[in-house]
This record gives sequence, C-alpha cells and structure tokens, in this order.
Amino acid sequence: MITFIIRRLITTVFLLVVVSIITFAIFFLIPRLAGQNSAELAAQYVGRNPTHSAIVQMEAKLGLNEPLQEQYWRFLSGIVVGAHYNSGPSVTYCPPPCFGYSFRSQQPVWPQMVAALPVTLSLAIGAAVLWLVGGVSVGVLSALRRGTLFDRFSMGVALAGVSLPIFFTGLISLELFSYKWPIFPNVQYVPITTNPALWARNLVLPWVTLAFLYAALYARLTRAGMLETMDEDFIRTARAKGLRERNVVVRHGLRAALTPILTIFGMDLGLLLGGAILTETTFSLPGLGQFTLLAIQNQDFPEIMGVVLLAAFFIVIANMVVDILYAVIDPRVRL
Amino acid sequence: MRRRSRLAFAACAVTAGLTLAACSSGGSSSSGGSSSGSSASGSTTAAFNSGVNTVVNPSTTKGGTLTYGVAATPDSFDPGNTYYAWVLNLNRLWATPLLTYKSCTGGCGDTLVPGTATSLGQVSSNGLTWTYHIKQGLKFEDGSPITAQDIKYAVERTYDRSVMENGPTYFVNILTDPKYPGPYKDPNGDFTGITTPDQNTIQFHLQAPFPDFNYVVGAFSQTAPVPKAKDTGSNYQLHPQSTGPYMFQSYQPNKQLVLVPNPNWTQNEDTEARQLASKIVVNLNMNAQDLDNRLIAGDVDIDAQGIGVQAAARAKILSSPTLKNDADAVPGNRAWFTYLNTKVAPLNNVNCRQAVEYAANKTDLQTAWGGPYAGGQVATTLLLPGMNGYSSFDLYNAKTAPTGDLTAAKAALAKCGQPNGFTVGASYRSDRPAETAAIQALQAALTRVGIKLQLHGYPSGSYYSTFAGAPNYVHQHNLGILQGGWSPDWPDGYGMMDELVAGNTIVATGNTNIGELNDPTINSLFQQTTKPGLTTAQVGAIYGQIDKAAMAQAVILPNVYATNLLYRSPAATNVYAFAPYGEYNYAVIGASS
Amino acid sequence: MAMLEVRDLHVQFRTDDGLVKAVDGLSFNLERGRTLGIVGESGSGKSVTSLAIMGLHRSSDKGSGTEITGQIRLDGEDLVSSSAERVRQLRGSKMAMIFQDPLSALNPYYSVGAQIGEAYRVHNKVSKQVARKRVIDLLGRVGIPQPTVRVDDYPHQFSGGMRQRAMIAMALSCDPELLIADEPTTALDVTVQAQILDLIVDLQAEFGSAVIIITHDLGVVAEVADDVLVMYAGRVAEYGSGGDVFRQPGHPYTWGLLGSMPRLDVARVDRLRPIRGTPPSLIHVPSGCPFHPRCAYPPQVGGDRCSTEIPALLETGPGHRVACHLMLAKQQELWAKLAPGSAGSAAAATEETVAAEQTAAAEQTAAADEVASAEQGEDVTEVEAT
Repeated sequence: MITFIIRRLITTVFLLVVVSIITFAIFFLIPRLAGQNSAELAAQYVGRNPTHSAIVQMEAKLGLNEPLQEQYWRFLSGIVVGAHYNSGPSVTYCPPPCFGYSFRSQQPVWPQMVAALPVTLSLAIGAAVLWLVGGVSVGVLSALRRGTLFDRFSMGVALAGVSLPIFFTGLISLELFSYKWPIFPNVQYVPITTNPALWARNLVLPWVTLAFLYAALYARLTRAGMLETMDEDFIRTARAKGLRERNVVVRHGLRAALTPILTIFGMDLGLLLGGAILTETTFSLPGLGQFTLLAIQNQDFPEIMGVVLLAAFFIVIANMVVDILYAVIDPRVRL
Repeated sequence: MRRRSRLAFAACAVTAGLTLAACSSGGSSSSGGSSSGSSASGSTTAAFNSGVNTVVNPSTTKGGTLTYGVAATPDSFDPGNTYYAWVLNLNRLWATPLLTYKSCTGGCGDTLVPGTATSLGQVSSNGLTWTYHIKQGLKFEDGSPITAQDIKYAVERTYDRSVMENGPTYFVNILTDPKYPGPYKDPNGDFTGITTPDQNTIQFHLQAPFPDFNYVVGAFSQTAPVPKAKDTGSNYQLHPQSTGPYMFQSYQPNKQLVLVPNPNWTQNEDTEARQLASKIVVNLNMNAQDLDNRLIAGDVDIDAQGIGVQAAARAKILSSPTLKNDADAVPGNRAWFTYLNTKVAPLNNVNCRQAVEYAANKTDLQTAWGGPYAGGQVATTLLLPGMNGYSSFDLYNAKTAPTGDLTAAKAALAKCGQPNGFTVGASYRSDRPAETAAIQALQAALTRVGIKLQLHGYPSGSYYSTFAGAPNYVHQHNLGILQGGWSPDWPDGYGMMDELVAGNTIVATGNTNIGELNDPTINSLFQQTTKPGLTTAQVGAIYGQIDKAAMAQAVILPNVYATNLLYRSPAATNVYAFAPYGEYNYAVIGASS
Repeated sequence: MAMLEVRDLHVQFRTDDGLVKAVDGLSFNLERGRTLGIVGESGSGKSVTSLAIMGLHRSSDKGSGTEITGQIRLDGEDLVSSSAERVRQLRGSKMAMIFQDPLSALNPYYSVGAQIGEAYRVHNKVSKQVARKRVIDLLGRVGIPQPTVRVDDYPHQFSGGMRQRAMIAMALSCDPELLIADEPTTALDVTVQAQILDLIVDLQAEFGSAVIIITHDLGVVAEVADDVLVMYAGRVAEYGSGGDVFRQPGHPYTWGLLGSMPRLDVARVDRLRPIRGTPPSLIHVPSGCPFHPRCAYPPQVGGDRCSTEIPALLETGPGHRVACHLMLAKQQELWAKLAPGSAGSAAAATEETVAAEQTAAAEQTAAADEVASAEQGEDVTEVEAT
C-alpha cells in the first residue's frame, strides 16, 4: 500500500506539471497564434488609455516579453522555492507554494485561494452528505419497490434533478425561499468559526440546490446497482441462510451495490472541491468556483494557473483515495 | 452534463432571470420587500425619475448602516490607482482630492469646487504653472496633519506604472519631468513636475498649456494625499489612509469592504461630502441577478456599480407601480457609438460613411440598447446634452426619419461609387448582449441599401487592447464598422471628444480614435482651445464646431446617450443622480435604519 | 412420518409470455438419513422444487408472480401454508441449501468465516467469539486445512473445492435436518467432485440428516443416492430406489438418460445415443404425456393414448413408480433389449431410433395438419400412424 501511494504521488506531480504546461500554453500560445503580441497582452492589465511607457513597464513587470520557457520556468520555481515580489516601496518574499501575484490586483494568489477554500469545502462537503444519504436511500427504496408508484415518482423527480441546470434551480429556490417567503433571507457566507448556526442556515439553499442534482444521479445509480446486485447468487445464499430480508438487503445487497457508488462519490467530491462554479456564482458564495470565474473574466493568468492546478490536484488525489478505498472495500482488488 | 461553459453563464443567467420575471409579477405589485416605496416617505418625492433632478429623501439624520452591492470587483481601492467611475465615486468617502465635484443635482454637478484646496487652481500667465493652496488643519485618519508634500507624493507614486498600473495617465503626459520613474525606483530623486514652496502650497509645472487642468486634478483621486511613511505600494489598496468622512474598518478583496466614520475628519476637509451613516458596507462580486433581487427586497440599498439593473429586474420594476416609484432613468455620462473607420475601404470615402449614417435605423438601435429608459435617448452628436458647447444638431435626419433616410443613403452611395452597396466587416463585443443586439439591428438596417456587414464578435477584456483598438488588426481584418462606447473622463468637450477624433491620439494598442480620423481642421480647433484667456462660452463654441466637423466627417455614428435604470432603496437618504459619473452621489448618501 | 413429505406440489410463474408450469404435480417422501437424487435436464423443474421447499420464491421480489400450491411437510409442518417469517426461521436452521457455483454464491466482500459465522448467529444467540470457534471447528470438519488461518480469508482466496467445502460448512452450521445440494459438483473438476461427494456422504452419516442432491449427472446419483427421482417437464417420470431405477428402469426417458451415458464396460459404439428432440416449453406443455413427442413407444401403447392422457404414477414394484402408459411387461421387455451390454442392444437401439424418427415424422405431419385444418376451421380427430 505504501509503495502504491508513493508511486501515485510521483505520478501526481508529473501530471500536475503536464497540466500546468497545457494551461500555460493555452493562455499564452493561443492568443499568439491569433496574432496578439506581448504589448497587446500587457495592455489588458493597465487602465484605460495607457501610455506606451505604461504598457512597456507592465510587460516588464509581468515578464510578458520574456521567452515562454523562461516565463514558465519562473512560474515553476516560484511554486517550489517561492519568489520575491516588488510591491513598490519594499520587496516581499512570497513563500512556497508561490503562485505569483494577480495580474490585476497585485495581490498574492495563494492566500486568496486558501481563503476561498473553506467556502468551497463547506459547500461541497455539506452537499455531499445530503446527496449521498438522500440519493442512496431513495435509490435503495426504489430498487426494492420496483415498479411501484414510489419508484416511478422518485425516478421521475430524479430525471428532473439531473436535467435541470443549477442556475435554474438555484435562482428559483432563491426567488421562492429567500425573497418571496423569507425563510432563508440574505444568503451570504458566514464562516463556521464566526457563527455555526448562521453558517449552516445560509448554506441550506446552496446545499439543497447542489445536492438535488447529485442526489438524483446517485438515486438512479444506486437503484440500478441494487437491482443488479439483488439478482446475484450470494443474495440467494444469504436468504437461504435464513437472514431477515432487511439484513439481506443492507448487509449483502447494499454492501455490494455501494462499492462502485462510493468510488464515484470520491471522484465527484474531488471535482467539486476544485470549485462548484455555478452554485457559488448563483448564491454569491466567495469560494474557489467564484474565484475561478473572476480569474477567467479578468484574464488573470496567475490566478487561473493557481485554480487549475489546485483543482487538478484535488482530482488526482481524489482518484488516488478512490483507488485505495476500492482496495480496502473490495478484498478481491490488489493495489 | 455537469460541466457547463463557464463563460456562457452570464447569458444563461439572463435567460433564467427573464423566465423568472415572466413567471412572477406581471402587473400586480409583487413583494417589493420591506418598506416599499408606497408606505415609507409617502411623500411626493418618491416617484419614478424623481431622483434625476431632485434629492430623494433629503435628510441630515446620522446613524444606521448603508449597504452597497456590486456585481463586479474594483480595479483598486487605492485612490491613485483607479479609473472606474463607480470606484472614483465611492473613493470620495475616504479620499479627498484637491478639487472635487459639487454635490448638487442636474448639470450643476459637473462644476468643480475646492476639495482640500482653498480654491480652484491659479494658472500663470503663460499657462504653464498651476498653483493650489491647501486648507489649514486637515488631518489623516490617524490624526497626522496633511501637507502639500503628501499630495505631491500621492501624484509621484502614480508614475511607477509597474505598481500603479490602473489609474489615468494625464499627469505623466502633461507635467514636466515625464520620465520620472516613481519614488519606488528612485527613492532619493526629486520629481520636478510638482513643487511645494511651503507646507500648504503646491505647484504643477506643465509642458504645454492645458486649460482643463482643474479637471485633471478634480475628476480623479490621484491628488488625494498619501503619507509616504505609510505607503505600502501595491498593498496600499488594502487600507488607504483616509482623508475623507469614512475610513476602512475591514477589507476582504473581492468580498467586502466595511467603512466606519473617520473621527479625524471635519466638514471643512470636503464641503461636498457627508458623514451620516454609522457604518457603510460594500459587498463585492455579487451575482448580478441576486443583487437586483436584494435591492428590491431591501437587503441592499444601492447598486454601487451604477450601470443599471439587469433585464429581469428592469421588467419587474417597470411593470410595478410601487417599484417604479423607487427607480430613476439616470443619464449615464456615456454614449454608445458605432465607429466608422477611415482607412478600411470603401469607408475611406466620406460619402460611403455618410451613407451608413443615413441608412441606420435609430429607433431599432435604441430598442436594442434597452429602450428609452435603459438604453437612452437617440443620439445625433458627439457631445452629451448639458455639456458646454452642446447643441442639438442632426446632420443625418435621425429625428425626421428615425428609421433611416434611405433616399439620402442611396444618393450618398452613388456619390462614393458604390450605388449597389458594399460588404465590410463589423466588430462588437460578443459578451455584451445589448451591444450584440445593436450591431444586429444595424446590420438589418443597412441591408436595405445593399450594405452587408460581416459580424465579428470579440471578448470585452481585450477588445481595445487587441482588436478594435489595434489599428493593424482592424486593417487586416477589414473592420470598417466597430461598436463601442465612450464615457468622458470629465464632462466637457475635451473629455468627450479629444481621444475620439483628435489626430494625435491614434496609437497602436488601446486606441480610442477608432475612426482613425486625422483631420487638420479638427486638430487645429483642438489647438485653439488651449489659447489662454478664453471664456467658457468661447471654449464651448469651439467644442461645438469640433462636434459638427467630426459628425460631418461621419467617423462616428452615435447610437444613444446612455441612460441607466437605477433602483434606490427607500431606506437610503439624499439620493440623486450625479452628472459627472452618471450614478447616484455616493459622497452624501445616508441610511435611515 | 418422513422427514420431508411433498404432496402434489405445483409451482407456477406468471410471465408476460404466459403461465409457466415449472413444477406440475410433484410428490415424494424423504426419510431421515437417506439421500434422494433428483435427476433431469435443464428446465425439468428440479431447482424450482428445491427453492420451493426452502421458501426462496416468496422472499425474492420476483416472487410476486409465483404461485405455489400443494403441501411441503417438513417434520410434520406444512411450509406452504406457514408464514414467511416461520419459513425464514427454519431456513438455515432446520433445512439448508448449498448451491452450484460457490464463487458467485459467496459474498466476495466478507470473509468466509464471517459468512459462516453469520449463518450460525442468525439462529443462535451467541457472541462473535463463540461463533468464531464454531466456524473454525466446522471448517476443520469439512476438511479445510489450517482452519484458524483460513477462517479470515475471502472466498476468492480459496480453490474451487475448498470453497464448496466452506459452503457445506456454512449449510451445516446449524445442524440442519434437511440438506439440499443443488448441483454441488457441477462447477468442480472430476477429482474434486469425488471428494465433495464423499464429504457429503460422511457428514450425512455423522449428522443423520436427510439429503437431496439435485443433478443432471447420473454418475453422481449412482454414487450417493439411496432413492432417485427422475423429473421431466415439471412432473415425476420415475421414482424409486437407486437399484431399481438403474437396473430396472421403467420410463423411456430414463432409458434414454441411461443409454446416452458413455460407459467403460461396454464395447465402444460409434456414436452416443442422445434423446431425440429438446425439452418442452413449460408454458406450452405437450398434451397427455409430456415426453410423448420424443418417445419412440407411443405406437406400442396403441392409439393416441400417449398424446391425450396424462399417465398416472403407477407402482411397478415395491417403492418403484413409473408414469408411463406402457404395460409393465412391455417395459421390462423393451428395457431388456435396450440395456447396454445386452445382445440385442445395438439392433434395438437402431430399431428404436427408426421408430422414434417415424413417430416424430408422424407427429410433425399431424401438427402441420392440425395447424392447416385449424386455419380452415375443421376438427382433426384421427392421425394415421404409419
């Protein structure tokens, strides 16, 4: 297991480097192919009506006129050993991992991401608990009562959940539960350390909106998985032993059906940690997703690179955890 | 299924919002939230558009919390490093420049009055030196006194573009010693463009006469004092030392700014600002739809960005009498234009350009921009109504033939040798729905006389740096018709027209003279305005001539004088439209709860 | 009173295609300490019978379309009319079952010890430690080496034979009085088969339980069964002691089964003799004797008795019953000719094949005529046999 983890971590580093190169290329190379030069790129980060010298200074400051390999190398070494940054009257040291300073606001990127992370974590984990419990329960019940009204109704709702976009369900839920009937007024992120009750209350709508989508998916998956599992031979054996039906379903059926569900769950959570962009934007939650959107709109390269790598990191780690989890859960699997 | 195009969010959100609007309201006064306009003052002052020319909820009551919301982020809250109108407007709460705008309604708001200075600048006879005296006894938020050196330092630091990259560059262009690298790179050097004979006097030395210099000083906050000892460069934006009625209590970039009254501020420091609310909260980076809903519900008092509510809220507000009472269609200190490039054939022939002017359907354009309330009045001039020198002329029959004068258009086409029309490229910003609708309206209108537009959409972020504002790109891609807009840095003929039609403003990137007009007559008219000793009326007359000459050259097809539909919370006091920014006047607004 | 008494058992499934008569009137007895071998092709209803005894049709969600009538008396208690809960209590404790493929029949996520322990603790309130001791003990009894180590192993870590032993251990954990083994050796290779069968026999001797072995393999039946039940199309074809059925079979189907086996003690024949035709659909069971379409001897019976009249299960000897219209004397005569190793077997075999072909041809013609005349709306009464 240890060798597996070490091997995976090495692969992770390699993968992140590849991701960074690709992001770098997309950001810098593609506009070049369209004919943009470094002066035009720099002009995006200066104010209106920039003088020529302002553009030149910005180019130099951001290193945009250096060859691409040097820019990339500077970026990479910043992550590993940190970098020095001239803030005007003084030079600050930005400790590793240093993702540089925002092209637009001159503020360090890493602390901003760290500040945004708890918001995304709160959103993702809260929703995850909701959708796992809700989705799996509905799926199991639907599978056991296949063909009944409950089954048909819940799968219909699940279809809606999977098909309706988040910005639609989010805006509708805000309209109904925040403005029309002020059950959750003034949805704004409050850190859990400040006021846990308010933190939870303000997150209920985003949790439910996000969980609705995933719960629907998981209900369908669990139902399919349960139906398949309940046809397995070992279920018949379990019954033949004289087990109560409840135990047959939970200990034998669910245990087997859940294995692929849990691994999918790991992947979904990993993806979400990189930022639930739509949900965060709909509810104005200042998490990594909103940070990503802002970075892209502002064409702010260090911020873009920062979130891309962080999201990639989460996904890769989630992948690894999922593989380990699978090996732990399923004794037939060797790492 | 789970990954959606991130940049398509805005468009989709608008659609969703429209659907919501269609589902809700529809006539009957839906919610309207807390203290709706009908109850509240009950006064006749709260009516539709009453904030345009009068003060709504006038009050001197102190206390309460005032909440602003913005669906954007500032370029910087450092007074020396911002160019956004709403930030400059908000700045006056913590930064007082030498001069400032007068806090009054209507065109009066365009008047410059003293800020930290005792009076408007005194210019030497050769026009090269401007002198300001500073009031006695003014202090920073920590109680330390404000001196002329602090103001000089504030301007000096903007010279280092690698740290202060966002702000205007007028000082660099106008003052002597333009190569000064800034105090960070040259800590011991002395900037000779500004001198301070004593603690309370400051003198600016110009390369050439610039009659609008008071505007350079007063329209922005670059002359708000900055103490050198507390200057942290690019981090100064996190807590600028206040010289206004409020100071920073906390600031989380991209999230929230909280202001509290500055105990060391006196009314004398800025006669035009007020210290009323006991707390001001600015929520940044909100979801635009959500912001509108909170405005209407009363959770947010004012949308500080001041460019108007989104389409969904607009529909809700205009269809509800209660909500409409709390809304104003405010002139936005901006015009939306179509530029006609003089280098791309066949638009290099003025007659072809005039044909475009005649054939445009101004009514459709107005509708595309949002109609009379949210789009604006049909425009026929470069100068905005109310500006010195403005006159309402109409060279291309926009008023008499608002859907287009096709006969005159065809005649003009014949004169430029294209009787059956021609094909040319057209550019616009594809992430702006109104602009997209406008260029499509223009395209439909021009087809009637055989002018075919090939539309090319570009992202806003790099529109001026890389596409429409890069003449090489424009020529290479045959973009003869380009959408854009203009909001003057200060409300006069220079601010409105210089960078649009003066020949010496054409640059390779970030170009704003998109028509690439270099007309000797117009250029010399601009020169004439710098002659010392001209009266305001005389200067106005020259600007009027420039306006007519430029319109005759047909390098710009004005679409609308922009109006923004703004919503004001009934809980906010002293709310009125402020001419220089086209938004409400943030320096005086208070809270009643 | 026998340990297990089955009376007129009918098991029917309602499907979209029609009513499947999986078991159509089955009756037999099984005494303690005796082994019954149930033989038949796929689709004969053998597994369905065992599942019906265990009550496993009811608890599966497909059971909603299942109808079970008749009596299944286990130690005097009728399982068909008992509540599902009562049957559940008996399952695993009084009657236990082992299945064909131990790899798929064991839960891959739990250790073998855990699964056996679970079987034990369902019916016995003991602590986990006590159960574990019992499990280790059982594993030793069924011949698994190093049981203290292997108790924590997972099913995939066992070889095929060992897995089946573990299954047997699980079935025996509560000392059941009835053990049903559904094709216990089919998934195993031959050498292991013998071991498993030996194990079952030994354990039966030790525990004194009644055993039902369901199989299509006559060799297995010959090895271990005291009594044999031959099923065809959900009905009993022949029922008797092992000796009777193997030495003096009375049903043509049994003759076919025995005749189609390769044997060492007979001269090699060029081809094996399969039974002509395929098992019938259980939705559309042939009229009369279900075997008659594949049988060579309806002409010997005469008339169309075989195709119209269901043969009753008649006693042809003490404890030996056959469901066939052939007279006993005829049965013995025909078998004497057919018995492998007898002089006339080859010729008789050919004769039988020819006769069967003719019958089959006649049946086809008759069927065709029937269809044709049905279309014309006429009645068909007589079929001329050639």
